[in-house]
Amino acid sequence: MVKVGKAIAFAQEYAKRQSEDAPFDELMELVQQIVAFHMQHNAEPEAVDLLMEVEDLDLLVEHTDKTNFKRTCLYLNSSAKYLPGPDDNLVLDIAYMIYMKFEEFPRALQIALYLDNMQYVKQIFTTCHDLLLKKQFCYILARHGITFELDEEMCADDEEREGLQEIINNAKLSEGYLTLARDIEVMEPKSPEDIYKAHLLDGRASAGASMDSARQNLAATFVNAFVNAGFGQDKLMTVASEASSGSSSTNWLYKNKEHGKTSAAASLGMILLWDVDSGLAQIDKYFHSTDTPVIAGALLGVGIVNCGVKNDCDPALALLAEYVDREDPAIRIGAIMGLGLAYAGAQSEQIRSKLIPILNDAKASLDVIAFTAISLGLVYVGSCNEDIAQAIIFALMDRSESELGEPLTRLLPLGLGLLYLGKQESVEATAEVSKTFNEKIRKHCDMTLLSCAYAGTGNVLKVQHFLGQCAQHLEKGETFQGPAVLGIAMVAMAEELGLEMAIRSLEHLLQYGEQNIRKAVPLALGLLCISNPKVNVMDTLSRLSHDSDTEVAMAAIVSLGLIGAGTNNARIAGMLRNLSSYYYKEPSLLFCVRIAQGLVHLGKGLLTLSPYHSERFLLSPTALAGLVTLLHACLDMKAVILGKYHYILYFLVLAMQPRMLMTVDENLKALPVPVRVGQAVDVVGQAGRPKTITGFQTHTTPVLLSAGDRAELATEKYIPLSPILEGFVILKENPEYRDDQ
Amino acid sequence: MSTLTVSVKWQKKVFPAVEIDTAQSPYVFKCQLYDLTGVPPERQKIMVKGGLLKDDADWPKVGVKEGQRLMMMGTADEIIKAPEKGPLFAEDMPEEAQVVNVGHSAGLFNLGNTCYMNSTVQCLHSVPELKSALTNYPPSGAGNNVDQSSHQLTVATRDLFIELDKNAKPVAPMQFWMVLRKKYPQFGQLNNGAFMQQDAEECWTQLLYTLSLSLKSSSSSEEPDTVKALFGIEFVSRVHCTESGEESTERESVYSLKCHISQEVNHLHEGLKRGLKSELEKASPALGRSAIYVKDSRINDLPRYLTVQFVRFFWKRESNQKAKILRKVDYPLVLDVFDLCSDDLRKRLETPRQILRDEEGRKLGLKVDQKSSGSDTDVKMTDNEESANGNGGTSKDSSLEGKEVHLTGIYDLVAVLTHKGRSADSGHYVAWAKQENGKWIQFDDDNPIPQREEDITRLSGGGDWHMAYICMYKARLVAM
Repeated sequence: MVKVGKAIAFAQEYAKRQSEDAPFDELMELVQQIVAFHMQHNAEPEAVDLLMEVEDLDLLVEHTDKTNFKRTCLYLNSSAKYLPGPDDNLVLDIAYMIYMKFEEFPRALQIALYLDNMQYVKQIFTTCHDLLLKKQFCYILARHGITFELDEEMCADDEEREGLQEIINNAKLSEGYLTLARDIEVMEPKSPEDIYKAHLLDGRASAGASMDSARQNLAATFVNAFVNAGFGQDKLMTVASEASSGSSSTNWLYKNKEHGKTSAAASLGMILLWDVDSGLAQIDKYFHSTDTPVIAGALLGVGIVNCGVKNDCDPALALLAEYVDREDPAIRIGAIMGLGLAYAGAQSEQIRSKLIPILNDAKASLDVIAFTAISLGLVYVGSCNEDIAQAIIFALMDRSESELGEPLTRLLPLGLGLLYLGKQESVEATAEVSKTFNEKIRKHCDMTLLSCAYAGTGNVLKVQHFLGQCAQHLEKGETFQGPAVLGIAMVAMAEELGLEMAIRSLEHLLQYGEQNIRKAVPLALGLLCISNPKVNVMDTLSRLSHDSDTEVAMAAIVSLGLIGAGTNNARIAGMLRNLSSYYYKEPSLLFCVRIAQGLVHLGKGLLTLSPYHSERFLLSPTALAGLVTLLHACLDMKAVILGKYHYILYFLVLAMQPRMLMTVDENLKALPVPVRVGQAVDVVGQAGRPKTITGFQTHTTPVLLSAGDRAELATEKYIPLSPILEGFVILKENPEYRDDQ
Repeated sequence: MSTLTVSVKWQKKVFPAVEIDTAQSPYVFKCQLYDLTGVPPERQKIMVKGGLLKDDADWPKVGVKEGQRLMMMGTADEIIKAPEKGPLFAEDMPEEAQVVNVGHSAGLFNLGNTCYMNSTVQCLHSVPELKSALTNYPPSGAGNNVDQSSHQLTVATRDLFIELDKNAKPVAPMQFWMVLRKKYPQFGQLNNGAFMQQDAEECWTQLLYTLSLSLKSSSSSEEPDTVKALFGIEFVSRVHCTESGEESTERESVYSLKCHISQEVNHLHEGLKRGLKSELEKASPALGRSAIYVKDSRINDLPRYLTVQFVRFFWKRESNQKAKILRKVDYPLVLDVFDLCSDDLRKRLETPRQILRDEEGRKLGLKVDQKSSGSDTDVKMTDNEESANGNGGTSKDSSLEGKEVHLTGIYDLVAVLTHKGRSADSGHYVAWAKQENGKWIQFDDDNPIPQREEDITRLSGGGDWHMAYICMYKARLVAM
């Protein structure tokens, strides 16, 4: 209390003098002395608090030294989450400066990425002269999923720069992922039946269907794609291609009906995810098909293969560009969505000029325009690009009254929102314009824009705003409460405390909300706990999965898949198995159950959908954009995912990342070392050198990390180049290491 | 003339030094690659910095630099063609075809306390032979000597069975119910303006009785009584008077075995055994007065479908209703009635049983042996075919194209009619029937629910859960 009291006393005095225009000198001198004392006596939090109150954090930089800067910065970082803007950015700026002062570059890079400040990133590359460290930076940038071009200033040597750029381009991601899979021994392809485990249900399961059901085959297509994602082999799609000796009757592709073939062809892209070379080679055969949906699927597949991976030759653009202006809407959508996936976050001028005309194309059908808006939103995610915003706004204004009622039209505001993802106030001008829209879409657009702009900020005021919107009773069948509920989750997912509070608020909405709110709540819960199966949320969703309202039940089932995505969680798997027998007579619900089952076993449990990484500090914008797109589509499940736009599920690929720790040596070859993996402990502001993990086990890399896990090296022989052991980490031999023998 | 050297990446391979003659068209370059990769030029896609290389492009305009890496896509694989005939999808099928997909027949709507009737119909519906016999029933009642209402009931049963097979959605047995009430007015009893709950056993017996009459008379002379062949059990009883030593033999035919439940009965077998021994008092000609006779019955002829009724209800005078015995009586999934049979029948059963044992032994010993495991289904097949021919015949010596099918005295459970509640005229009746695919379905009026086989034997009573009232067993047959 005394400590807090002191800071407050200073704050009051400071405020008083500020209003009286009295001189601060004397006060500041005192502050100087106190801060210096605190900093030398392990009381960094107090020093930071005091300086924040007198609005002079800059002073902190000169008082930090080698012994206390880490603890100081840790405190700054974690307090930033609870500060209102623009103070939070100011605090992080200071932390960045301190890290730069002590050449703690990887940490500085994290802050630069958090601030989305490319200037800082550049500065780090130019200041640091260690090539190995730069490689580590590249790995961090690659995981964050942003496009970043190195120039000569950042790395003078051409060959070295090429090597670094290759890491940023994620060219070796597939290789690393497969190394992990081989190490964990899960290379064996799995069939949908291995996931359904119908034998555990015996009598209760649907009788062995003698007939192919198009919907169930489509579900199997997705399950197969999700489960074998990135492994390059499966039991349905790739097998058929090897035995293509005219036995096309057995070909799985043709076990799907009409638009189902699009998803089936595209699933090949998912199976060969990140492996551009063999992926494109295998998809190629579909390009020569005479079947429109198959070609559309091939185009989409190309986009999926290239998702998160960049290649010098730009194969996706080369292949897809010419199809964008075809006649057939299915093919156009395939190409457009493919471009969106392949170049998400790339802010590519070529794609912009290719896609913008479609928005104003009077001949283009509504679905083509909707997917164009989403793709533009993805490519320019968080860029606040005015031209695109204008184009989408015009496209929205051009919609007829009846078109505005269509579920697909609601993807247009989402495309607009993605442009401002996480950009807070920058959205205001556009939000103002959106107020002039037709009243059918006005509120919906407003909510979508707001939720996107404040996504991942933890802004409590915005959460309250959304909750207020949900309290209204609607007469005219408006749809804006869906995005508002999602908005709560998008904003509150930023940090643990707010997340817990949001879960509680959503429980209330469930009890008192109306149908259009209740059906969005499971989706919001799914986003809050994505790939992180919290038991209480699991129970809530399990309860809702039997809801008498089918839309609520469907959303809950899909969300069960989302919270368990890539975890192989046995409890969720069991729940879904029981649901599959419970709903065996209802094809739509069964379809959702199958999708959820596929998600739980995503990449056989090696992948995560969480957009957060680096100890839950950084939020990958493209990953979040992919998730939000899917969730918005799920708001009207019947018209979109259960209709003919089921391939929207492939937007999840943007969020797919291996949940691994892979240690590599100086030549970037896998280097197995022992590591301790345990639950992360919050050590902010704690005295001494507290343990950062608890309940740990020792494994040899590569290892899988679950939500909330943290790893640390169990050997002194190597020094990791990144303080955060996630994804790819380069190890350097410790020169001071002495073998005990 | 100028040449450029580039490297070309194709799939995982890299061809390091490929020369481009910039004076010639890119098509020539593609032909070069054809030699290297075997991919025909028209299927090559060469990517040059965000664009595809066109056959007639100008090299300088494309802007390829010395040493640049190009990427080529294309396969020499066969192009996948759509199959001539796409697969049929369940969604495209008319509703009746979707039944096959669901794997069980439809449920029946409850028309107001008609669960006794619904469950009876569902149980009998699971007898394919009865279905085919009904299908062969002539539509016009002309020429047969059954009364009009019996004829109508038979036709209504047939139509209802057909409806059940055709639909995936529940069926309302309106017509059947009306005709049933017409034939048996006791089912039309009203209580407070609503129809009363009835005893399912009564419904079962009456329905079978009617069917036996109409199906017997309808069929031509060489075809004997179908219902009797399917369900009839023949007893031979020795009536013995302990006092006088008089002895006589009686023969009688019934449609179901009764399982009497008393304090000592814990298992179906015990109840059946008790039911075969009875004491009766009748006039003894030798003694000139009435004396106690012991009646000792044995089964002399077995049916294709053995019906077992648990005598759970008795008339309770004080409460004026049919009260229920809740005692738990276990029943098996496989019932062997060999020791209930007469010596004569035992002799006839001996050989078929031996064959069945051998067959099963073979199956257990050599599981991989396809032939032996297939034989079981063979039997079932012939069984079905036979019934389709309408050739009921007395089961013991029915023959089919030289292959004789014999009873073994071993029966498999195929349907259970359960009751839940405290008296026959109240509570709820449900049918549990095994489908042709081997799965059990609980037909709770309009709601068919799949069940596990092990749950079927749990309906043995001893609580307030559904308990078996009538069990139907299907004969295991062997071909000889």
